[in-house]
Amino acid sequence: MGYLGQQLVNGLTLGGIYALIALGYSLVYGVLQILNFAHGDVYMVGAFIGYFVEIALGGPSHTKVPVPVMIFIMFAVSMIGTGLLGIVIERFAYRPLRKSSRIAPLISALGVSILLQNAALLLFSANIRTYDTSSFIPSTAGFSIGSVNIDSVRFAVLILAMLLMFTLSKWVNKTQVGRAMRAIAVDRDAAVMMGIDIDRVIRWTFFVGAALAGAAGVMNGLLLRGVSNGMGFIPGLKGFTAAVIGGIGSIPGAMAGGLLLGVVESLTQGYLSTNFSDFYTFILLIAVMLLRPNGLFGKKAIVKA
Amino acid sequence: MSEDTSKLGIGTDEWVAQHEKRLQRRSGALGIVDLLNQRVSNKVRYSALGVAAIVFGLFVHNLYLLRIASNLGVFLMMTLGINIVMGFAGLLDLGFVAFYGFGAYAYALTSSSQLNQHWPTYLSVPAIVIATAFLGYLVSLPSRRLFGDYLAIVTLFFGQIFIQLVLSSDSITFPGHTDSTDITGGSNGIPGLDPFKLFGRAFKSTSDYYWLLLIVITLLLIAVVRVNRTRVGRAWRTVREDPLASQSMGIKVNNLKTLAFVVGAAIAGLAGAIFAGIQSAVFINGFDIPLLTLIYAAVILGGSGSIPGSIIGAFVMSVLPEILRVQNYSEFLFLAVLVITIGVIGKNWKKLAINIVSLIAIGYFVKALFSLSHMTTTPTKTWAIAPVSKALQYWLVLPANRIVWGNMAFIALVALVAYYSIAHEKIKPWLLPIIAYIAIFVWEDRLVADASTTRQLIIGAMLVVMMIVRPQGFLGKTRVEVL
Amino acid sequence: MLELKKLSMQFGALKSLSELDLTVNKGEIVSVIGPNGAGKTTLFNVVTGIYTPTSGEVLLDGKSIAGKDPADVNRLGIARTFQNVRLFLNMSVIENVMAATYANTKSNIFSSALGLPGARREEKAVRERAEELLNFFGSRLTGYRWEQPAYSLSYANRRRLEIARALATNPKVLLLDEPAAGMNPKETQEITDVIGRLRAEKDLTILVIEHDMHVVEGISDRVIALDHGVKIAEGNFDSVATHPDVVEAYLGKGSADRK
Ligand SMILES: Nc1ncnc2c1ncn2[C@@H]1O[C@H](COP(=O)(O)OP(=O)(O)O)[C@@H](O)[C@H]1O
Ligand SMILES: [Mg+2]
Repeated sequence: MGYLGQQLVNGLTLGGIYALIALGYSLVYGVLQILNFAHGDVYMVGAFIGYFVEIALGGPSHTKVPVPVMIFIMFAVSMIGTGLLGIVIERFAYRPLRKSSRIAPLISALGVSILLQNAALLLFSANIRTYDTSSFIPSTAGFSIGSVNIDSVRFAVLILAMLLMFTLSKWVNKTQVGRAMRAIAVDRDAAVMMGIDIDRVIRWTFFVGAALAGAAGVMNGLLLRGVSNGMGFIPGLKGFTAAVIGGIGSIPGAMAGGLLLGVVESLTQGYLSTNFSDFYTFILLIAVMLLRPNGLFGKKAIVKA
Repeated sequence: MSEDTSKLGIGTDEWVAQHEKRLQRRSGALGIVDLLNQRVSNKVRYSALGVAAIVFGLFVHNLYLLRIASNLGVFLMMTLGINIVMGFAGLLDLGFVAFYGFGAYAYALTSSSQLNQHWPTYLSVPAIVIATAFLGYLVSLPSRRLFGDYLAIVTLFFGQIFIQLVLSSDSITFPGHTDSTDITGGSNGIPGLDPFKLFGRAFKSTSDYYWLLLIVITLLLIAVVRVNRTRVGRAWRTVREDPLASQSMGIKVNNLKTLAFVVGAAIAGLAGAIFAGIQSAVFINGFDIPLLTLIYAAVILGGSGSIPGSIIGAFVMSVLPEILRVQNYSEFLFLAVLVITIGVIGKNWKKLAINIVSLIAIGYFVKALFSLSHMTTTPTKTWAIAPVSKALQYWLVLPANRIVWGNMAFIALVALVAYYSIAHEKIKPWLLPIIAYIAIFVWEDRLVADASTTRQLIIGAMLVVMMIVRPQGFLGKTRVEVL
Repeated sequence: MLELKKLSMQFGALKSLSELDLTVNKGEIVSVIGPNGAGKTTLFNVVTGIYTPTSGEVLLDGKSIAGKDPADVNRLGIARTFQNVRLFLNMSVIENVMAATYANTKSNIFSSALGLPGARREEKAVRERAEELLNFFGSRLTGYRWEQPAYSLSYANRRRLEIARALATNPKVLLLDEPAAGMNPKETQEITDVIGRLRAEKDLTILVIEHDMHVVEGISDRVIALDHGVKIAEGNFDSVATHPDVVEAYLGKGSADRK
């Protein structure tokens, strides 16, 4: 029981990170119907920004500011930085392609992904860095529910992920830009006719989506996983898988899909095999696509003739 | 509506009247490409290529060159395969190298002591092609009802799964057994494969494989050209053009997509088997994303949907890495490409001259500033090892901390290039020599030392730029997109 | 021949077609009129399988085809053109027509690649058929135009090519969505004749959506009028054109549809 509980908690934390990445895919897909391959690499950049902020603030063991403040600054800078990166990517790699064939933005996105990965390799070398969280938050800190130990970093990450998702839902439902975004997702032509400034909404969408990925990147670092130039590839795939499982374009779908994926991954790793866990995720993706092609929360796509 | 029509310039007879004009419209380097593209018939091109390949095979006995030529052959098979999947049917198959890897590993497992299987080539290769095709069919199933984007991600994921499966299948414990079996050799790969045995001979030299590839590619080309211009090829192109209209004309769009995908996989499987034969060993790291991007870059550079384009793209992309490996060649090539780019952007000789002169002036100016500031420099002896850099040392600044300066310049370069793309027409001419200078600085100070990263950066940038500037590639026809 | 029974199509809260009944007899030319947004194109989309109706039936020769895949519907004998002309723009004119013979031809990837005699013969027949269909439009689409890309055609010629392409699928029923839209009076007269000849020479049953009342008057055996997805009138041209509900539907809509 304790083991199962432990795996569930781990899975939810991991799932929170996947969900944040998945949201970026879904938001962008909702307004532009393009698959932003470079999203996983934005997540990588987010993790690097967090790392360099940590170093700038004195490094893991000699921080110049209180630990919560440091973590806050890491998140803030990383999210703003990746958000801006998202806007830049949209402006230079996607916007010129809005009127071209469907495949062109996909290839452009592939190009951006290669660019980001290799620029990071060039600038930061192939060294794997870590946040070294345990030197400022002792790994013994935390609490237990029954026999399940929840260390405080994991707990904080989980709470933070939930908080960001909650904020996002509020943003989408309550703000003018958020509502415009949903309107575009439903019917773009109608939205244009109603005078919605599409470019502005798209900029915001990329900013928010990328910022969430940046936050996920920092969370990943805090959880003591390595930070390196190729780190975004697999989580990017997982995030997309989560978005598809939930129903691409659907915000609650992305969240649910991410959490589900995290839990499934954690359980398969815990009970079946570590080496093949991505394989099981792939099988899950295939199964969902075959059985529920529009995902768990997705609406049926309507073609216009 | 009639207003619309005239705006588009598609009047009834205008097209015919403008035909000659269109042929000569563009000036400069791209214009020459266009002209060659339209004036020389495909038969002439292919025959010239075939003759060149035969002459090469007969007279070149340099092992290194034969290796490069054989690798080019394998690469060409893959670009032809991708060209069917993407160019004809409009699908993005990012698992393509996994099918290639599958073919290679399948050959390794059926032709080595790994599993103690030594199948005759006549049996193993056809079996591999069929098996890869079937695998392709399975992979295409989940996304066949959905958009092309889903196929892209499923296949990308599939490629990753393939790598992980191969890597972790070196210690599989089958149910009912206690000891584990090594199937794929994990990260050690499988060495010591049997050579191909065909036409009554064992393939001992690379030259044997060269001739085999020449035959296979010739047959493949004939097949692809024929299929493309008849029933199935036409239907593929309708799928790319407008799937809904295609379907309303009785064409089973999903079946055709699957077919294209399966044919692509089969070709990749065959290429993989031949590659494994040439290398007489397989290692998993050859079947990862970098190869995938290289293939896509080749097809896109040449022009997706254009068979001559695929050939030229394959040529450039498989020979280029060899050239980039030698610093002197790569530096020379870089400068040449830079000058050509400036020429193409500037459109005429006068502007090219002005830009080059300003570029040289900027160099000396920065050099002067730099020596005034008393900053330390890299000793030229350690830097100027190749003739091009020897020539450049009197002009280019060489700060002591080259990595840091190079990195900063790299960021500045990316930012400036991006800015250039949206800058006002009046500012652009001023920016151009500055960008060129920084590009040379970054190249000499940072990129030359990191050839593989540089290659990937160039490919990434190329994919984005090509999509924006010339999505049809250098040899593809201009396409009209319906929205 | 073609029979619609209580056919409804709903998008969210919007009923684009509601409880539509219609019978089209063999060899008949029926026109569908109605203001923009009345549901005419939706009707075509439902009949051709692009949309699955929310409720109701579509029968072709007494067999239900509602909800079938568009390719299957076409293979059963219904071909169409599109209001917004959807040609294969980057293919040549003749290839557009040849491609549409796909369902009625057999050569596969192997026989084509090997250049087997059967495949060659079929290819030749397909080409001849395409030429014959293009010649149906007199000098408009002949000879030197065949190898041009479809995007080089004028608007009227694109509409003609779309009809030729639909004919290449060997249909029994032809659905034309605003075939005369964007044409000048001479071309409109021509297309009116063409539709008449289609029935006479190709033995077709034809359903036409058209705004130009001269065309409708010239070709129709029967006219039905739609408004907000509901059939408001049916009968010969004169009775429908003067039907008070039809007049109101058009005029009440104001400028929405005055051509
Ligand atoms: N795919 C769709 N999704 C939502 N609404 C649709 C769709 N297709 C058509 N409609 C709506 O159905 C109504 C009828 O449209 P249509 O059949 O195109 O009219 P028309 O009579 O001008 O051809 C319109 O209000 C249109 O907005
Ligand atoms: Mg309509």
